[in-house]
Amino acid sequence: MSTNAKGVSLAGIVKWYGKVQAVRGVDLDVAPGEMVSLLGPSGCGKTTTLRMIAGLEVPDAGEIRIGDARANDVPPWKRNIGMVFQNYALFPHKTVAENIAYGLVMRRLPRAEIATRVADAMRQVQLSGLDDRVPSQLSGGQRQRVALARALVTRPDVLLFDEPLAALDRKLREQMQVEIRQLQRAVGITTIFVTHDQDEALTLSDRIVVMEGGRIVQSGTPGEIYERPGSHFVSDFIGMMNALRATVLGREGDGRLRVRMEPGGRELLVTGPAGMDAGAAVELMLRPEKVRLNPPAAPGTIEATGTVAHVVYLGPVTYLHVRTADGVLIAMLPNAEGGGAQPRQGEAVSIGWRAADMVCFAPPDDA
Amino acid sequence: MTSKRLLSAYVVVMMVFLALPIAVVIPSAFSAGSDLSFPPQGFSLKWFAAILERPAILAAAWNSAAIAVVATAVSLVVGTLSAFALRRYRFPGRAALATLFMTPLVFPAIVLAAAIAMVLAPLGLIRTFQGLVLAHIVIVLPYVVRTVSATLAEIDKAWEEAALTLGASPWEGFRTITLPLLRPGLVAGATFSLIISFDEFTISLFLVGSGMMTLPIEMYNYAEFSLDPTLAAVSTLLILLTTLAVLAVERTVGLGKQFA
Ligand SMILES: Nc1ncnc2c1ncn2[C@@H]1O[C@H](COP(=O)(O)OP(=O)(O)OP(=O)(O)O)[C@@H](O)[C@H]1O
Ligand SMILES: [Mg+2]
Repeated sequence: MSTNAKGVSLAGIVKWYGKVQAVRGVDLDVAPGEMVSLLGPSGCGKTTTLRMIAGLEVPDAGEIRIGDARANDVPPWKRNIGMVFQNYALFPHKTVAENIAYGLVMRRLPRAEIATRVADAMRQVQLSGLDDRVPSQLSGGQRQRVALARALVTRPDVLLFDEPLAALDRKLREQMQVEIRQLQRAVGITTIFVTHDQDEALTLSDRIVVMEGGRIVQSGTPGEIYERPGSHFVSDFIGMMNALRATVLGREGDGRLRVRMEPGGRELLVTGPAGMDAGAAVELMLRPEKVRLNPPAAPGTIEATGTVAHVVYLGPVTYLHVRTADGVLIAMLPNAEGGGAQPRQGEAVSIGWRAADMVCFAPPDDA
Repeated sequence: MTSKRLLSAYVVVMMVFLALPIAVVIPSAFSAGSDLSFPPQGFSLKWFAAILERPAILAAAWNSAAIAVVATAVSLVVGTLSAFALRRYRFPGRAALATLFMTPLVFPAIVLAAAIAMVLAPLGLIRTFQGLVLAHIVIVLPYVVRTVSATLAEIDKAWEEAALTLGASPWEGFRTITLPLLRPGLVAGATFSLIISFDEFTISLFLVGSGMMTLPIEMYNYAEFSLDPTLAAVSTLLILLTTLAVLAVERTVGLGKQFA
């Protein structure tokens, strides 16, 4: 089936709701069989973008293509898509089997074929035996599976998800993430998944598209987005970050920026975006897992001493909040086998990190 | 404790008070005597048989039934469309329109009656079946809009959208998803509409005339001249019909929901 998967492309998509511009020029190409997450904070236009792909909203400008064909003027019922809604939107007056069969009935397939395809789909999502239940008799996870089966059974060209796991508890959510990813890979279907949960995006996606204020601000593999965020917003939104204040002193010949950390006055060389003049206030972003305790001396390593202000134990890891002359830094330390001792609150510690792991961004406007 | 007992006593008194007219009228219908008095004398079914010898009452009953059915059918279609427009779309004047639909519920019936008569008279619709149907539509429409839109509020728009994404055209989606879910509201609205139209007096009074009578007015006219148990017999039949209708609604959709 992956051979006839279709790609989706958006070019210059704009959507207004009255005086609110919900989507402000989105360009996005999703390859056939690819799984892409639209990730961003509440109100950034993810749902609106997804609904335009589904045909439930009409863009005010721009072009939507599904496969090779322009889809702007194709109504949702002719787009051959599958969509899983936030609260599943299962038909309350129909049984599980009738819900799943709905799209096939609308396609006027022969009864026998509908029956076999529904049975196959139910087996695929481990719902066999629940045919005659109605949605109100199902658990959250089962409803989720019915919605998934209903969307997939019609063999759509594109599968769309709008925060389908938001209502599930954490354990079930993580389990469903894995199931959805495995199913998507097995079927090879082009999938667009809206979420505001970064872990979900990292778990599920071939590619993450980060949105902010109706625009795409960065697109890349989970690794790229996490390791090389392109802006202060992205670095702050995905994962935990230390943000250390600094002032630009000037640019070196190799393009790196010479900055002075505030407070502390430590000077160092970091990579930073173009167009930053001497005197500009910046923030140096550093992942907590890049901060090490008692670092071995090595060229390029920055060392600092401080006291432990706060300890957060999270099972596999412990977060130490360390107060240093450079400000408070959070360090993520793996918990050793057998629960080896981590520093306690008030203890003096020595920490270090590599200057190369720091990324420099202009602080957000409202900071 | 005492307050609870007081409450029970209050409920009993209220129920007796409300049921008293029915408790009087039904036994009177089976009276063997010839005046409308209580307690009835003896037992007979002759007053039910007597209805059949009153062509005016039969004709009026037939008119009332036909008016109720036509007014209800029209109101169901118009009311459902209106409820949809009011619930699902935002447009200028929406609030005003919603209020307008509800005015017949709160307007003094006599004012409405005069107003309707003044509109229908120049159109030559006084003393016509069509005129009565139009007037009854005005009266019952608010009930249909109310019950349908209360039900519609429970129907998630996402269900209709899910149907669209699964390949259903808007009409197919309406037929297979919205309409079945709307049925309780439609049944309740139709029942209210039938009962209210059949029972309507004030407004019909301005529009009836010889040759085009409704049952409540015919009964009133009859009572002016003869107070025999025929009226009690007719009333008993009406009570029976209404009870059956309400029971049927309660069985199929649950009336409580419509008033909750
Ligand atoms: N039907 C609508 N009418 C008016 N404004 C709307 C409508 N739908 C969305 N908006 C506005 O458009 C913007 C984008 O909304 P959208 O639902 O796409 O955000 P989202 O990224 O999905 O957010 P969330 O994570 O909260 O679901 C928001 O400012 C929202 O208030
Ligand atoms: Mg949303």
